Amino acid sequence: MSDLTNTGLTNVARNLRENKFIRMLGYFRPFLGLVVLAMVMAGLVNGAELVSPYIMKVAIDDYILGDSTGMSIALIGILYFASVLVGAVSNYAHVILLNTIVQKIIHSIRMELFSHIQRMPLSFFDKNSSGRILTRVTNDVEALNEMYSGVLAVLFRDVFLLVGITVTMFSMNAQLAIVSFAVVPIIIIITAVFRTKARANYQKVRALIAQINGFLAENISGMKLVQIFNKQKEKYAEFRELNGKYNDASLTEVKLLSFFRPSAELINNLGISILIWYCAPGVFESGLEVGVLYAFITYIKKFFGPINDLADKVNVILSGMVSAERIFELMDNDEGLENLDRGNALPEVKGQIEFRNVWFAYNDEDWVLKDVSFTINAGETAAFVGATGSGKTTIISLIGRFYEIQKGQILLDGVDIREYKLRDLRSRIAVVMQDVFLFSGDIMSNIRLDNESISDADAIQAAEYVSANNFIERLPGGYHEEVHERGCTLSAGEKQLLSFARAVAFNPSILVLDEATASIDAETEKLIQESLARISKNRTTLIIAHRLSTIRNADKIIVIHKGRIREIGRHDDLVAANGIYRGLYEMQYAWAQ
Amino acid sequence: MVRQFIKSFIRSNLLYYTLGTLALVSSGVLQLALPKILGYVIDLLTLRTATLARISWLTLGMLGLAALVFSLKVCWRYLLMGRARDLECFLRDKLFSHLQSLPVKFFHSHKTGDLMAYAINDLNAIRRAFAFGLVFFIDGFIMNSFSLVVMGESISFRLTAISIIPLIVALFIILRIRTPLRRRFTRVQEAYAKISEQTHENLSGIRVVKAYVQEEPEIARLNETSLNRMKAMLDYVRLSAGLGPLVELCFGLSFTLALVIGSSFVSRGVITLGDFVAFNTYLAMLIRPISNVGRIVEVWQSAFASMDRLDEIFEEHTDIVDGPEAQSWGNQSNERRLRGDITIQNLSFTYPGASVEALKNISLNLKAGQTLAIIGPTGSGKTTLVNLLLRLYPVGRGHLFVDGTDINDIPIEVVRASIGYVPQDGFLFSASILDNIRFFSEVHSESQVEEAARLASVYDNIVEFPDGFDTVVGERGITLSGGQKQRVSIARAIIRDPAILILDDSLSAVDTQTEEEILQNLHEVLQGKTGIIIAHRISTIKHADQIVVLDDGKIIEQGTHQELLARKGYYARLYHLQLAETTFQEKADII
Repeated sequence: MSDLTNTGLTNVARNLRENKFIRMLGYFRPFLGLVVLAMVMAGLVNGAELVSPYIMKVAIDDYILGDSTGMSIALIGILYFASVLVGAVSNYAHVILLNTIVQKIIHSIRMELFSHIQRMPLSFFDKNSSGRILTRVTNDVEALNEMYSGVLAVLFRDVFLLVGITVTMFSMNAQLAIVSFAVVPIIIIITAVFRTKARANYQKVRALIAQINGFLAENISGMKLVQIFNKQKEKYAEFRELNGKYNDASLTEVKLLSFFRPSAELINNLGISILIWYCAPGVFESGLEVGVLYAFITYIKKFFGPINDLADKVNVILSGMVSAERIFELMDNDEGLENLDRGNALPEVKGQIEFRNVWFAYNDEDWVLKDVSFTINAGETAAFVGATGSGKTTIISLIGRFYEIQKGQILLDGVDIREYKLRDLRSRIAVVMQDVFLFSGDIMSNIRLDNESISDADAIQAAEYVSANNFIERLPGGYHEEVHERGCTLSAGEKQLLSFARAVAFNPSILVLDEATASIDAETEKLIQESLARISKNRTTLIIAHRLSTIRNADKIIVIHKGRIREIGRHDDLVAANGIYRGLYEMQYAWAQ
Repeated sequence: MVRQFIKSFIRSNLLYYTLGTLALVSSGVLQLALPKILGYVIDLLTLRTATLARISWLTLGMLGLAALVFSLKVCWRYLLMGRARDLECFLRDKLFSHLQSLPVKFFHSHKTGDLMAYAINDLNAIRRAFAFGLVFFIDGFIMNSFSLVVMGESISFRLTAISIIPLIVALFIILRIRTPLRRRFTRVQEAYAKISEQTHENLSGIRVVKAYVQEEPEIARLNETSLNRMKAMLDYVRLSAGLGPLVELCFGLSFTLALVIGSSFVSRGVITLGDFVAFNTYLAMLIRPISNVGRIVEVWQSAFASMDRLDEIFEEHTDIVDGPEAQSWGNQSNERRLRGDITIQNLSFTYPGASVEALKNISLNLKAGQTLAIIGPTGSGKTTLVNLLLRLYPVGRGHLFVDGTDINDIPIEVVRASIGYVPQDGFLFSASILDNIRFFSEVHSESQVEEAARLASVYDNIVEFPDGFDTVVGERGITLSGGQKQRVSIARAIIRDPAILILDDSLSAVDTQTEEEILQNLHEVLQGKTGIIIAHRISTIKHADQIVVLDDGKIIEQGTHQELLARKGYYARLYHLQLAETTFQEKADII
C-alpha cells in the first residue's frame, strides 16, 4: 500500500520534473517576496491604465455634458495626471523588480549548469563536442533569459490587464460590454489560424537559414578546394537555389504578417463601429452617457494591444522551451557524475602504484586494456613503451581516476583508489600532457592556476627549478606576460617547460608525463631532459617515453602492445631477455651509433 | 559598394517601392480621417439630432474606410517589407559570389566565424533598416505632420500647441538617452562575450582543469564573470526601463493638458465634444511614432555600420588574376591541357604579412611522367610549394614554369584544371559520396566514379554503406573516418584524369596495408602523369623518382631513396626511426 503511494508520488514528482514549464517557474521560488511585490506593481500599472479612461469619462459626462456641479476640471486634471504618474512609477518599479529577479535566476541557472558540467567525467567530454556544451551555457541560457525577461514577465502583466479591462467594462455597462466583445471570437480565430500557419512557416525559415549558414561555413572553410577544382560556378548555383528557397519562405512570412497585423486593427475598428451603432438608439432612448462610450472605445483599443503581441510572444516562449529542455537534459545527466569529496581523506602519499588485473574500455566491450597488472614502487621512475594506440595514455589517465575501470583494481599505497576522495587523489598527482594547455592570463597564473596556496615566490622557484626562468625572464613582461589564444606566442618547447613548472609548483607525490615528441630545438630539449631528471627525483614518476635516454634510465620499463603488458623489467634485463623490447632497442641503438 | 548594390536594387524594384510608398502614405492619411468621423458621430449623439439611419450610414462609412485602410496596409506591408527580404537575399548572393573570388590568403586572415557573422548579423541589420526602419520613418513622419496639421487646423491651434510641448520633451529625452543606453548595452554584450570565452577555454582545457582539481576555482571564476554580466544587465535595464515610463509621463502630461484645457474649451463652446474626442484620438496616434524615433535612429545607425563592415569585404580583391599573356589564350584555354613538366628556378616566397621566408631559393626539375616526393618537418614549406603551383598565392615571374611557360602566362583555370589535388584533411562537403567524388559536376558517369573509388581503395567501404554512393557524409549524414575521407578525396582528384596529381600528406590516416594498395594503383594512374607526393612516412615515398627533403624552407637533401640513405642525413635518420617502429610492431605481433 505504502509502496503504491510511493510509486505514485515518485511518478507525480517525475512528471513535475519533466514538466519544463513548472520546473522553470520553480526558479522563482527563492524570490517569492519580490515576485509578490512585482505583482503588486503590475496591478498598479494596470490599475492606472484602467482608471485614466474612466477619469476621461467623468470629465465628459460630469464636467462637459453635466451641470458642472461635480468635480472641478482642475481636480479631474490632477487626478488624471496622478494616475499617469502612479502608472509610470509602478511600471518602472515593475520592470526593475522583474529584471532583478530574472537576472538572478539566469545567473543561478548558468552556474548550476556550469557546476554540473565541471563535475561530469572525462568520458562525457569525449562524447560531446565542446561547441555543443558551450551552446548550452551561452545561447540556450540566453534564450531562457529572453523568455523570462521578455515574455513571462510581460505576459503576466498583459493577462492581468485583459482581465482588468473585461471586469471594468462589465461593471460599467454589462450590455455594452457584451456588444464590445462580440468581435473577440473573430480575433481569436484569426490569431489561431495565423499562428498555425506562421509556426509551420517559421520552422521552415529557421531550417533554411540554418542550412544557408551551414553551407556558408562549409564553403568558406572549403573555399580553397572549390577554387582549386574550379567549381565556383557549381557552388554558386547551389547557393543561389538555397538562397532563393529561403527568400520564398521568408516572403511567405511577410505575407502572413502583412495580413495579420492590419487585420487585427480592422477588427478593432469593427468593434468600435458595432459599439457606436449599438449606442445610437441607446443614447436616445435609455440615456447612455457619451463618456461611457468614449471610455469603452479606449478600453477596446487597450484590449487589442496585448492580443496583437501575443503571437510573437508565443514564438519566444516556444524557442525558450526548447532551450530549457536541452539545459535540463544536461543537468539531469548524472552518468558518472564526479563527487570530489566522497570517500576517505588521503593521508601522506608514499607513491606505490599497483594495477591488479585491470580491464578497461571506453565503450562497451571494446577493451583498450586487457588484464593489466603491474606494480611501481614509491619513488621509482617507470617508462611506458609501446606503439600508438597501445594503451599507454589510457593507463596514465586511469591513475587519476578520470575514467572508471570495468574490472580489476588500481591501488595507491595498497588501497583501492576508489576509496579516496577524488580531490585528494588528483591533487597528489601532477600530469604533464603532450599538448600543453595554457589558460588566458599571464605566465604566473598559468603556473599556479587558481591555487592561492602557491605564492609568487613558490611559482618563480618552480620555474627556476625546471629552468623555465630563462625564457620567462626574456619575455617583455616577465612573469606577468600575457599568454594568448592557447599559448600561440610561446614555442612548443617553452610551453612544455611551463607545464613542468606548473607540475613542480603543485609539488605532487606522483608525476605523470606524456613525453613530447614534437620537434623541439636542441637547446630546449636539453633543458627539458635536465629538468625532467631533476623533478622525477624522490617522486614516483610515470613517463610515456619516446627518447632512448629516458627509457634507459628508468627503474622499470613496461612494454605494452594492443592493451596487454608484454614485458616488464629494467633495460638490461629486457635486452637480455631478447623480447620485443630488444628489437626496438637494437633498431634505435644501431642508428645512434 | 554595398550602397551601390542597394541603389541598384532599389532602382530595379522602383515600381514596388513607388506603389508601396503610395499605399503607405495614403493609408496613413486615410487613417487620420477615422477620428474625425468618430468625433462627428459623437457630436451627433450628444446633440441628439441624428436619426438611427444617419448613424448607421456613418458607422458603415467608418467601417468602409477602415477596410480601405486595411487593404492599403496589407499592400504596403507586402510591397515594402517584402522588398527588405529580397534585398537581404540579394546582398547575400553578392557577398557569396564575391567571397568566391577572393584568394586563399583572405580566408587565412579572416576567421570563418567572423565571415559568418557578416553574412548573418550585418545582412539582418540592413534588412531591419529597410523593413522597420524605412516604413516607420515614412509612416512616423507622415503621422506626425498630418496629425499635427489636422489637430491645429481643424480643431484648435492653441490646444495643439500647448499639448505638444511635453511631446517635444519626450522626443528630446528619447534622443539624448540613446548614447548612454548604447554604451551600457555594449557593456552587456562584452560581459556576455566574456562568459562565452571563459566557458570555451574551460571546455578546451577540461583535462588540465580536472587533473589539477581546478573545478571549484573555475566555477568561482565563471561565477564572477556571470555576476558581472548580471550587474551590467541591470545597469542597462535601470536606464532602458526608465525610458518607457518617462515617455509615458510626458504623454500623460500632454493628455492632462488636453483634458483640462480641451474640456474647458468645450464647455465654453470653442470646440465641440466631438472635436475633443477626435483630438484625444490624434494625440494617442502620436505615441507610437514618437516612441519609435529612438529605434529608427538606432536601426539606421547599425545598418550603416554594417554596410561599412561589409564594404571591408567587398573592397578586398584578389591579386591572382590572369595577365595579358594568359588572357590571350582566349578560347583555347578550354581545350588546352598541360603536359606536366615542372621547372622551379631559384624560387623564394614570403607569405603576405610574414617576416620570414617560407621558401628559400628552391630549384627543381620535374619531367612529365615523373614523381616527386617531398618530406620534411611541419612548417618546412612543403604545402607552400604546392600552394604556389596551384596559384593560390602570387608568384613572381621567372621562377615557376609549367611545360616551359611561366606559370603567370598560363590562365589560372588551365593550371587548376590540369591538377588533381588531394588535401591534407580530406575535406568533404556535406553531400553524397557520388557528388563529392565528381565534385558537383555531371560530366563524369557513375561508372567512372566507381572506377575512381576502386583506384583509391575506398570502393569496398562505400558499397557497404546503406545508400552506397548516395550516402550523405558530413554533419547531416554519416561520419567517415579520417582514412576514408582521404581516400574519397583521392578518388575525387583522379577522376579528373589530371596531368599533375598532388597528394598533400593525404595518406597519413590510411593504414599501411591500404596505403600499399593505393600506391600500387597510383603507380598505374600516374603513368605519363606528373606526381607530387608530400608525406611523413618514408614507406609512402621511397619509390618516387625524386625525393626532396625540405627544412625551414630550404632543400637540404635531394635524390632517390638509395642516394639519400647513403648520405646518412635527415632522411636516413628518419628511415631508421620509422623502421624501428614498424619492426617493433611486427615483432610484437608475432611474439
